[in-house]
Amino acid sequence: MNYRDNAALRDKLAAEYVLGTLRGGARRRFEGWLHDDAALRNITRDWADRLTPMGEFAPAVTPPRRVWRAIEHRLHLRTASAWENFWRGSAPAFWRPLGLVAMVATLVLAVTLVQWRNNQPSVDYVATLSDDKAQAALLVTADRRHGALDVRLAAGTTPAADRVLQLWAVPKAGAPRSLGVLPRSGTVRLRLPAGALGDDVALLAVSVEPLGGSPDPTGPSGPIVYKGGWVQAM
Amino acid sequence: MPSDPSRLDPTALRALLAKVATGDANAFRMLYDNTSPKLFGFALRILQRRELAEDVLQESFAAVWHSARDYRAHLSAPMTWMATIVRNKAFDALRAADHAVEIDANDFDQAVLRALADPGATPIESLQMSRDAKALAACMSELDSAHRQVVGMAFFHDLSHSELARQLALPIGTVKTWIRRSLERLRTCLGKQESA
Repeated sequence: MNYRDNAALRDKLAAEYVLGTLRGGARRRFEGWLHDDAALRNITRDWADRLTPMGEFAPAVTPPRRVWRAIEHRLHLRTASAWENFWRGSAPAFWRPLGLVAMVATLVLAVTLVQWRNNQPSVDYVATLSDDKAQAALLVTADRRHGALDVRLAAGTTPAADRVLQLWAVPKAGAPRSLGVLPRSGTVRLRLPAGALGDDVALLAVSVEPLGGSPDPTGPSGPIVYKGGWVQAM
Repeated sequence: MPSDPSRLDPTALRALLAKVATGDANAFRMLYDNTSPKLFGFALRILQRRELAEDVLQESFAAVWHSARDYRAHLSAPMTWMATIVRNKAFDALRAADHAVEIDANDFDQAVLRALADPGATPIESLQMSRDAKALAACMSELDSAHRQVVGMAFFHDLSHSELARQLALPIGTVKTWIRRSLERLRTCLGKQESA
């Protein structure tokens, strides 16, 4: 068949391929041509652009919430909405897999760290922040005497080029408090703000944010990637 | 968030898809919030069964998440790309379920007419339709009503020429001619709109 030279035929076949009326052997043959004919692919794409918006003629229907939950679960997504719901239901689920072993390990690490850093005896709180596989990613130490917060990032925590990590203190009630934006790697000394320590702080968390930090003054705008609690060092 | 009033503004959706391609779950959520009502409506129209349409929507968004990197912004509009995914998966589901869909040609015509309704009078519908869809609705309104129905039935119900002929009790030659002429007229009409 001289389909290559017949512009009208090519156009007609492409349109009917998109519409769906090209069937059987003719459809399979057309797909074979598409495979090695870039110009034909363009013609076909133009027809898809023309006809597919017909799908929008159907009235919009908001899908039930379970559809998004199923997608989120299936793709292992962590979104801001998951964050917002964190304290409303999922907090115990976070702690459960960590278990006693991890808690003891954190304590041992904390004590070792404090002894090791005896040139800075004023470290009084330590937190290790881990990802969802309980892999430690950050070490945070608080020095109340100097009003400082030292953050040490493990290798492999670098976010995408247009993203930064932001550290938060999450209170038992109320909005998370930003403790600062973290460097891409290595260590940083941040000012220890009021509200970073204390009984009402349930947890520290790190979110992925646009450059400059979360645009949302009431909390993280991006997904939470690391979490962990304070442990008193002495 | 983009300030464009349309939830289906292609520029905003392209930007979201670009973020989704980097694994940005929040951008994906935004994309879902903006496009899922229209895509779910589309899947429902094809499948006419909510549980099937929900499965297809889920399958489709999983495919969008995994293949956002392959989306070429300079080629198709984002809604066209996603609607193609939904349509293919819906037809697959239809075949797998061996589920007979009740076909109502008049229903489609009403949808086109609704789509053409004065945007000022139905602001919500207007916000839920892309510019491409509005242009297509305008061109389809210029077709003969019977021709428009044949094209719509083929598109939404995955029907061959002979199936269409049987559904509409028309000779197959007539169906083929109507479709060919309709497609030619749509191309001319959309071409004019584009250059206008």
